[in-house]
Amino acid sequence: MAGVSVRPVEGSEAGATTAPASSPSAPPPVRRDLSRRVVGGVCSGIGRRLGIDPVILRVGFVAAAVAGGVGFPLYAMAWAFVPAEGAERSAAARIRGRRESWQAAAGAGLLVLSGLLVFRELGIWFSDALVWPVVVAASGAALIWRQSTSATSAGSGTAAPSGRSSAPRAATAQMESAGASSAGSGTASAAAAAAAGPPRVITGLPLRGGPALSRAGLGVVLVLGAGLIFLQANGALGALRDVLLAVVVVVIALGLILAPWWWRLVRNLTEERAERVRSQERAEMAAHLHDSVLQTLALVQRRAEDPREVAGLARRQERELRAWLSGRSEPQAGRSVSSALEGVAAEVEETHGVAIDVVSVGDGPVDDGALTVIAAAREALVNAARFAGEHGPVSVYAEVDDERLHVFVRDRGPGFDPAAVPADRRGVRESIIGRMQRRGGQATVHAAPGAGGTEVELVMDREPR
Amino acid sequence: MSRARSFDTVSLVAGIVVIALGGLLLLDRLDVIDIGFGYLFPLLTGAAGAILLAGGLAARPER
Repeated sequence: MAGVSVRPVEGSEAGATTAPASSPSAPPPVRRDLSRRVVGGVCSGIGRRLGIDPVILRVGFVAAAVAGGVGFPLYAMAWAFVPAEGAERSAAARIRGRRESWQAAAGAGLLVLSGLLVFRELGIWFSDALVWPVVVAASGAALIWRQSTSATSAGSGTAAPSGRSSAPRAATAQMESAGASSAGSGTASAAAAAAAGPPRVITGLPLRGGPALSRAGLGVVLVLGAGLIFLQANGALGALRDVLLAVVVVVIALGLILAPWWWRLVRNLTEERAERVRSQERAEMAAHLHDSVLQTLALVQRRAEDPREVAGLARRQERELRAWLSGRSEPQAGRSVSSALEGVAAEVEETHGVAIDVVSVGDGPVDDGALTVIAAAREALVNAARFAGEHGPVSVYAEVDDERLHVFVRDRGPGFDPAAVPADRRGVRESIIGRMQRRGGQATVHAAPGAGGTEVELVMDREPR
Repeated sequence: MSRARSFDTVSLVAGIVVIALGGLLLLDRLDVIDIGFGYLFPLLTGAAGAILLAGGLAARPER
C-alpha cells in the first residue's frame, strides 16, 4: 500500500512530460503491467493502479470466467483497450490507426446487412438463394474494382509520359568534340570500362503491394463463392460438378504440358527486368563519372600549368568521389530547388570562372526528380561554361510549381549542330538527355550552328506530395 | 483565454445510437412495440455499423 501512496507523485512527474493537460494530483492512467503479468498484464496493471493485490483480481476474473464465462470477454476487452506500459496506444487503437478505412468499410457493410435483414423481416424479399449470393458477389466485385482502379492510378503515376520521347536524337557536336580533345580517349575508355563493370548496388525491383493482391484475390474468391452458393441453392451444382471436373482435368493436363514453357517465360521476364535495372544503374554510373571524374580530368589537363589549382581540383574531386562511393546523401537533398540550383551555379562559376545568372520563379523541396533535373542542369552549365563561357554570362531560368519543374540553361555561344555529335560522346546524350529520360523527364537542346546561342530545356513532372 | 473544444464525432454518434437503441428496448419492455430477434439483430448490427462508419470516416491518417 505504501507503494500506492507515492504513485501519484511519480505520475505527476511523468505527466509533466507526457501529459501536460493532467493536473499534478491526477492519478496515472491504467496501464497493463507486463513485468508482472501472468497472461496479458491486465490484473497486475489494474491492481497497481487501484492499490489492490492483483491475485484478488485474478481470482475474480477466473471466478467470472467459470461462472458463466463473462470473465473471458471482460479480460479480452481490457487487454484490447488498456495500453501496455510504455506503449502510447492500446491494441485496438493501434489497429484503428493503421486501418481507418477498415472501419468505414466494416461499418458500411454492417449497415447494408442490417438493412437487408430488416427488409427480409418485413417480407420485402426475393429469396435467400438470390439475394445473399448477389450480396457476396457485389462485395467481391467491389474489392476487385477498387484494386483495379488503384492499380491504374498507381501505374499512371509512375509511368514515364509517352510523349516524352521527342528529345533530339543528337546533341552538341561542338561541346563534345572539344571535350574529347581535352579529356583524352584514354580516360574516356577507362570510364566506359568502369561504367560497363558490375554495378555497386543493384536496386531491388519495385514490389507490387501484397495487400493489394490479397484484396483482389479475396474479391475473386468472393465472386466465385457467390456463384457456387447460387448454383447450390438452385440445385444446379450437380451438373456443374461434372463440367468442373472435366475442366479441372483439362487444366491440369495443359499445365503439365505448358509448365516448362511457362517457367522459362517467367524466368526470362525476371532476367529481363533485372538486366534492365542493371543497365539503368550502369547508365547512371556512367553519367556520374562523366560529370565528375572526366570533367575534373579535363580541367586538370587544361590548367596543368597551375599546380595549386590542379591540387585543389583533385582534392575536391576526391572528396566528391569518396562521398559518392560511401553512399552519402546528395548535397542538394533537403534544400529547396532554387537554392540547390544556385548552389550548383555557384560551384560551376567558381570552377570555370564564368558568370552565371540564376532566376527562379516559384520554389519547392528537392525530391528525386528535382535531383535529376539539377544534375542535368549542372552538366548543361558545365558545357556552356566550357564552350561558350567567353561569349558572355550563362543564364539559368527555373519555373517551379507543384506540378512541374522547368529549367532552361542558355548561353551566348556560336551554337552547334546537334545531329553531328559523335556516337561515342556521352555528355549531353547520357548526362543530360538520358538522365532525364530515365527519370521520366524530357531534355531538349535548342541549337544550330551560327544561331547565336544554345538553350537546354529540362522538364520534369513533380512527384505528388 | 478559453479555447473552443472540439467534440468527438465518434462519441457523439455512438451516444446517439446507444440512446436510440435503449429507447427502443425500453419501448419493447413497456409493451409499446414488440421487438423480436428478427428485428433486434439488424438493430444491433446497424448500431455497430453506424459507430464503425463514423469512426472510420472521422479518423485521419496518422503520420
